[in-house]
Amino acid sequence: MDLQWSAADAAFRDEVRNFLDKKLTPELRTAGRLMTSVYADHDASMKWQRILHERGWAAPAWPVEYGGCEWSLTQHYIFSRESTLAGAPSLSPMGIRMVAHAIIAFGTDEQKDYFLPRILTGEVFFCQGYSEPEAGSDLASLSMSAVDDGDHLVSTGSKIWTTHAREANWMFGLVRTSRGQKKQHGITFVLIDMRSPGIGIRPLVMTSGEEVQNQVFFDEVRVPKANVLGDIDDGWTVAKYLLEFERGGGASSPALQVMAEEIATAAAEIPGPGGGVLIDDPAFARKLADAHIRTEVLEILEYRVLAAVAEGKNPGAASSMLKVIATELSQTLTEMAMEAAGPRGRAYQPHATRPGGPVTEFEPPPDGYVSGEPWQAVAPLRYLNDRAGSIYAGSNEIQRNILAKAALGL
Amino acid sequence: MDFKLSKEQELLRDGLTKFLSTRYDLEKSRSVVKTGAGWRPEIWRAFAEELGILGATLPEDVGGTGGGPVELMVITEALGHALVIEPYVDTMVVAGGLLRRAGGEEATSLLEKIVAGTAIVALAATEAESGDRWQDVVTSAERDGDAWILQGRKAVAMSAPLATHLLVTARAPDGVSLFLVDVEAAGAGLSLTGYRTIDDRRAADLVMDGLRLPTRSLIGEAGQALPSLEQARDEGAAAICSEAVGCMRKVLADTVEYCKQRQQFGVSIGSFQVLQHRMVDMYIELEQAVAAVFLAVLHLEDKAEVRARSVSAAKATVGRAARFVGQQAVQLHGGMGMTEELAIGHYFKRLTAMQFEFGTTDHHIGRYAQLSRAAEVAPQTVESAERSHSRKLSRSPRSFDSPAS
Repeated sequence: MDLQWSAADAAFRDEVRNFLDKKLTPELRTAGRLMTSVYADHDASMKWQRILHERGWAAPAWPVEYGGCEWSLTQHYIFSRESTLAGAPSLSPMGIRMVAHAIIAFGTDEQKDYFLPRILTGEVFFCQGYSEPEAGSDLASLSMSAVDDGDHLVSTGSKIWTTHAREANWMFGLVRTSRGQKKQHGITFVLIDMRSPGIGIRPLVMTSGEEVQNQVFFDEVRVPKANVLGDIDDGWTVAKYLLEFERGGGASSPALQVMAEEIATAAAEIPGPGGGVLIDDPAFARKLADAHIRTEVLEILEYRVLAAVAEGKNPGAASSMLKVIATELSQTLTEMAMEAAGPRGRAYQPHATRPGGPVTEFEPPPDGYVSGEPWQAVAPLRYLNDRAGSIYAGSNEIQRNILAKAALGL
Repeated sequence: MDFKLSKEQELLRDGLTKFLSTRYDLEKSRSVVKTGAGWRPEIWRAFAEELGILGATLPEDVGGTGGGPVELMVITEALGHALVIEPYVDTMVVAGGLLRRAGGEEATSLLEKIVAGTAIVALAATEAESGDRWQDVVTSAERDGDAWILQGRKAVAMSAPLATHLLVTARAPDGVSLFLVDVEAAGAGLSLTGYRTIDDRRAADLVMDGLRLPTRSLIGEAGQALPSLEQARDEGAAAICSEAVGCMRKVLADTVEYCKQRQQFGVSIGSFQVLQHRMVDMYIELEQAVAAVFLAVLHLEDKAEVRARSVSAAKATVGRAARFVGQQAVQLHGGMGMTEELAIGHYFKRLTAMQFEFGTTDHHIGRYAQLSRAAEVAPQTVESAERSHSRKLSRSPRSFDSPAS
């Protein structure tokens, strides 16, 4: 057991730094630094993915045979931390970090051959069709129908909270093919071509003004049975497998540590309530230290879970715990960033940021004027968008239910 | 001790509530923010002409109705409940108070216009260098013959883009002073860039570059503005605490209703104990906020240190409540709480901004600690606080009702 980096790890860090130095253009860095949520500007994100793909680093967590990297856990962590520190825009998790793992585990050879290389290049860009207006926390009660019609399933219904539905050309989703005694039965996991006739999209305007989420409507959309992943009526098995990747597949602590460090830097310049700068205010300093401590502890927890996964173990309930800790810590930090932004943290200035989707109902002030620094414009939008952390991917209430059962046997 | 409203105060509350529920539409007010002027002048006119609330706490000699802090509480709570974006607190409470205490011809004539609804006045006190510390003014004011020359910048001056007049703080040779600026007459020395705030109101950054003002623009005595500014900030803080209570009442009611209706796992989500407890905690926070507003309001006319301590206690309590109630209302609404489609998202943004206005929660906890310490060091302050407290009690000996009655 040890927490030290080896000489090889240090060399790897230098290699990553060197790569980032060379390849992250100022434009991409700006897109990364001025992100207002976990979603980067779509074009910047895809551009960065192509650059990473050239280097073979677009999907390091995949098995090597499909284009992944033979990295140790420490190396994954180093890569993630260095990328965040350098201000790299995030990649969409839906393809590389989610559905790809299900395709690798459950896909046919044809599905693997078609989708995996195209996910890597960005030619195929996935969105996720899980939640429905009446099926959120209670996902298994979903009702979007898919009726058997020879070689096709014919699908009618609606999905909601679909991130980047307008940018995506494919959706992975859950549809109802039959109704059994248990609602988890009769669900099928499908890959839907978003150019199919019968699909309509309504963007949802969030409190940040951004249009990243959508409601998607399906009116007798024909889905070839060749695009079913796993078995018909047994999609819940695939979905459960994926949910664990969604909840515990990555490491959040590097991004959280960078946030804490950025807040400390900003607070050393912003006036505090009692004279001097904000970081000299004992109340603020203690809150920040507390958050910092929690990120350090989370890092070790994440290591332990990643180590178990690397040994082929299912992260199981631990991923629920990590989801709760990481999202609540992120909410604490975005709140502190807003406090650090001072009075300017109340100005609504999306034009000074790089949001994950368009802001349509907004007219910037003359000459694109920005009050203060761009990070002060980012802070309130991140705060608003980050409220989603405890709601999406299974609300934190649901995660605590899972933990009560799985970790404590209640 | 008596927590009952008088007949007149009840009429005021009911009239305003009725007006807002029939004439103040959330969707319409948000759309003027996004694509229009940022407020609705016809609503402001109705405040002046139909409701007469623009002079609610201003004296009768300027056309006001001479009400006190309780009237202020009744009005601002109703405004908060309807999420009114028009600059009531900035103009009537903050600027109104500053002008009233300053006195003089200029101030009096402007107060009359505020009451009549023809003047919007905003305070420009915040600077990037000092943040919320209004006493650390960098903007300077120099005498030049029979004029004052102002030089400096202000940041996030709330409601300034809507204002006909600004009250600007500046450091004159004698100390911090207050200047009245007629926006239209200001000329090239003043530039103002307006923008939206996250809670759908308007603010502006100001640059004063050799802004030349006539002698009469000095409001109150040169160098003597700080005590009045401190009071204006306390009155503003008390007013938005009460506004926050109105917001929270609406948000809690909406959340309870949503949880009763929303079905998951075959039952209403309101039947889950974890959510019931959460909503009960929201209710407990709200009730504490209501009590804290009484604390602030009933000491708002006391001597400075008593007022300051009560207001800080209230702002800290309400800040904590606004944070919890707002965040949990969003959480319990799920994704819908994060959209612009339901009221909840709009109220959440206002409840967020309120935690930072007129001093953050931490600022007020810190000030409370300081004032408490000062009171220990100088026991006569505590005695005077007690004296003023018992005076308050003896002034309203009508009944000894419990808060619940």
